Amino acid sequence: MSIASRRRLQLGLLLGPVSAFLAVFFLGPLAIMVVTSFLAPGLYGGVEWTFYPHNFGRILGFADPMFEEFDPIYIAIFLRSVEIAALTVLATLLVCYPAAFCIARLSERWKNFCLFLITLPFFTSLIVRLFVWVLILRQTGLVNEVLLSTGLIERPLDLIYTQGAIILGMTYVFIPFMFMPVYASVEKLDWTLVRASLDLGAGPVRTFLRIILPLTAPGIAGGAVIVFIPALGNFVVPAVLGGAKVMMFGNLIEQQFLAARNWPFGAALAMMVMSVMLIMMVAQVVLSGRRNAAAALAR
Amino acid sequence: MQNSIVRLVEASKAFTTPEGGSVTALDRIDLDVRRNEFLTLLGPSGCGKTTLLQAISGFVELDDGSILIDGEDMTDRPPYRRPVNTVFQNYALFPHMTVGENVAYSLEVAGVAKQERREKVANALKMVGLEGMEARRPRQLSGGQQQRVALARAIIARPKLLLLDEPLSALDKNLRQAMQIELKTLQNELGISFIFVTHDQQEALTMSDRVAVLSGGRIQQLDTPRAIYDHPVNTFVATFIGASNLFEGTLDGDRLMTADGMSIRHQPCDRKISTKATALIRPEQFFLAEDNAPFPTIDVDLDQIVFVGSTFELFGRTAEGRKVVAEVPANRRSLVGAIEQSRKARLAYDPSAVHLIGERRGA
Amino acid sequence: MKIARSLFNGGLIAYTGLFFAFIYIPLVVIAVYSFNANPVNMMTWTGFTTEWYAQVLGFKTKVSESALYIESTGQLLQAVWNSLVIAASTTAIATVFGTAIAIALYRFEFVGQRFYRVVMFMPMLMPDIVLGIALLIFFVNSGIRLGLTTIIIGQCTFLISYVFIVVSARLAGMDRTLEHASADLGANEWMTFRRVVLPQLFPAIVGGALLAFIISMDDLVITYFIAGVDVTTLPMFIFSMLRRGIKPEINAIAVMMLSFSFVVASLGLYLRSRQK
Repeated sequence: MSIASRRRLQLGLLLGPVSAFLAVFFLGPLAIMVVTSFLAPGLYGGVEWTFYPHNFGRILGFADPMFEEFDPIYIAIFLRSVEIAALTVLATLLVCYPAAFCIARLSERWKNFCLFLITLPFFTSLIVRLFVWVLILRQTGLVNEVLLSTGLIERPLDLIYTQGAIILGMTYVFIPFMFMPVYASVEKLDWTLVRASLDLGAGPVRTFLRIILPLTAPGIAGGAVIVFIPALGNFVVPAVLGGAKVMMFGNLIEQQFLAARNWPFGAALAMMVMSVMLIMMVAQVVLSGRRNAAAALAR
Repeated sequence: MQNSIVRLVEASKAFTTPEGGSVTALDRIDLDVRRNEFLTLLGPSGCGKTTLLQAISGFVELDDGSILIDGEDMTDRPPYRRPVNTVFQNYALFPHMTVGENVAYSLEVAGVAKQERREKVANALKMVGLEGMEARRPRQLSGGQQQRVALARAIIARPKLLLLDEPLSALDKNLRQAMQIELKTLQNELGISFIFVTHDQQEALTMSDRVAVLSGGRIQQLDTPRAIYDHPVNTFVATFIGASNLFEGTLDGDRLMTADGMSIRHQPCDRKISTKATALIRPEQFFLAEDNAPFPTIDVDLDQIVFVGSTFELFGRTAEGRKVVAEVPANRRSLVGAIEQSRKARLAYDPSAVHLIGERRGA
Repeated sequence: MKIARSLFNGGLIAYTGLFFAFIYIPLVVIAVYSFNANPVNMMTWTGFTTEWYAQVLGFKTKVSESALYIESTGQLLQAVWNSLVIAASTTAIATVFGTAIAIALYRFEFVGQRFYRVVMFMPMLMPDIVLGIALLIFFVNSGIRLGLTTIIIGQCTFLISYVFIVVSARLAGMDRTLEHASADLGANEWMTFRRVVLPQLFPAIVGGALLAFIISMDDLVITYFIAGVDVTTLPMFIFSMLRRGIKPEINAIAVMMLSFSFVVASLGLYLRSRQK
């Protein structure tokens, strides 16, 4: 057998089964979901095969009142989810950046140890880590117990089932996601550039703003994308820490699928999240592509 | 004192090693750098020259001693408040800024207006031969060009002093030599003192007004290149700069007598030096004389004769087994031809060319 | 100036300490309180006990008079068993598939290479819920009954990506000259692969497998949507208990899960650091 055809055979053997699997069970379902979002909901759940753009109308406002009624609450929840996701990105960034800065300047051994400690919780169960915060934040939780028993407050505080609790929980969960890209960026920073800036008369603050921050921006951007999208579509954290009082878009989707059984509408809702994700992915690729090319040429 | 732009007094610095020991990088150094001078710090790696440079620029804090720049005590001042700029070994150009923005950086920090900045940047770039390159990015430039940008960036605000940390080490030979001349010209034009760090003695000799040879955290000798070459103050300097033939022994009248019985004639000197001394004869001071010439000679058996183009290098051995290196011009072909046959040479020298190094001078 | 600098550095280190405290103190807290004897107010300490652990592990304790508890324990054990079965199956499949793609992309150049890379990264960036409902729609429409099988298939779709990333990272850092040397010395492709590439790759494959295992055990969202009514996994069990009402046993379960994850993850990370 010639080398070329032997290679093709090997390639086929390696890729064939996987590709088939992914095509059927990954890309297929995604495509079907896209299609479903344009279908009409059946009477008892299920779908009817007619072109039905009114799901989107119901969300976005151009509905034909004969089919669906526009309910601004969907957009409201979406915007609130965006807000929560954005605040989560900000919170994780503010929490992670100084720590990344500190750890990047430690000795090799300490660095590895710290990285190990940070990645470890990533591998534990999300639900367990959220459970912890329920125990801490609820009315009979740790915080309230301590405050009550020391007499600092008279009645328990409403900590859980608030937007703040969700942001706290999401921050806690997403710290490893933000930390890694930021840390990678900070670690790669060429410190002679910092020295050059100081040498030329720029004080520490200015050096940070003009040199360190711009040069670590790619890591920050990367972290932001990795945190924002899962935060936006998250449903576990708001389900546990938000309860029925604070709903995010993910809860909405779950509701439509499991409670209301309106699959096309649920799919339409999911499409909204998908489109945000696509926009961010494209933006990230374009921006990082330009930066990577620049960096590659500079080295 | 008024003539010095930088003064170090008893500057000392020690570093702790990872194993827990301590390394002395600067050992009570006193140094006066004059205005408008091109001074080179020369020495092997680990001698303290880079530490010294960093102490002046403010990136290394002294354990002891003080630094005065233009009369002001700068010992406790951070680098961004010292009127000193550095050209770094790896250029350290900000990759996310254009050439123009890089060069303008110190002016921007100082609050200079945009129009004025633009003019000054254009001037600075012209000075280093990079006219019109404001819009380029560092990654688009060659090594030599990047270096000039680093230079322009460092001089634009007319600091009182410019520090250059082995700036030419990454360049290839031809470019290096061209840059040496350019740097010297620039220094003359600007009238600012340059402190230049290198381990390449050739560079030091060609470019400097004065050279400070460092070893073990101390300045071994601070003098003009010629003085250092002709009259090194100890054997370290003698061997570090240029090739040398050293003969240790005892002084007796107009001769130095070595332990193995050689005698080196030298110029009577009026300096008070110890009876124990070392005589230095540079290879190029030997010559092949005709038999009856009135010069002292050393006879050697030749191990190798190397043709270097304009000279021959002779590597030989005395009867006592001592190695001697001589360099003779290649135009005395007949004489060289003779010794090539016999593999023996009679090396003559002028006693006035012999330099004596006293023992324990310049620790 | 010296003082300012050491203040700043000291401040940074103090902050980093707080950072780690924030991450780990909650975990320590529930570990401690899992031994709290108080059955009602879990955060009010009344005494030390291990009976919650005993209860979870199936031993009869004073608390287990109510039938509800016994039923929970049965469900719990079933959930654990399901999770393990699923994790084992998905790990096996995902490791094979993920490694195959990684090797294919490493050794061959072909049209559509970049497409494969994009597809591999998609699950990372997608919110789980989107994938979850897509799979739900797919399975129901194709008439496949929801249960263990669908969970396994569904989880594999994204676990393959995780394995791929770990293995291809290792491949990217591999020294190709070793393969050239092997070929130069006369080994054919298969032998070079077996004796040169695979041994170096092995720790990464194991690492990828461990990663897949852990993520599979912990997966909630996707499993939640495609599990159907009959099957429950451990994370689903805890999730539903959280929504219904928290009992002290959950604390014990949580701590046991944490310990298990920590051990396995430490092992995995240790292996990965060894191969560097």
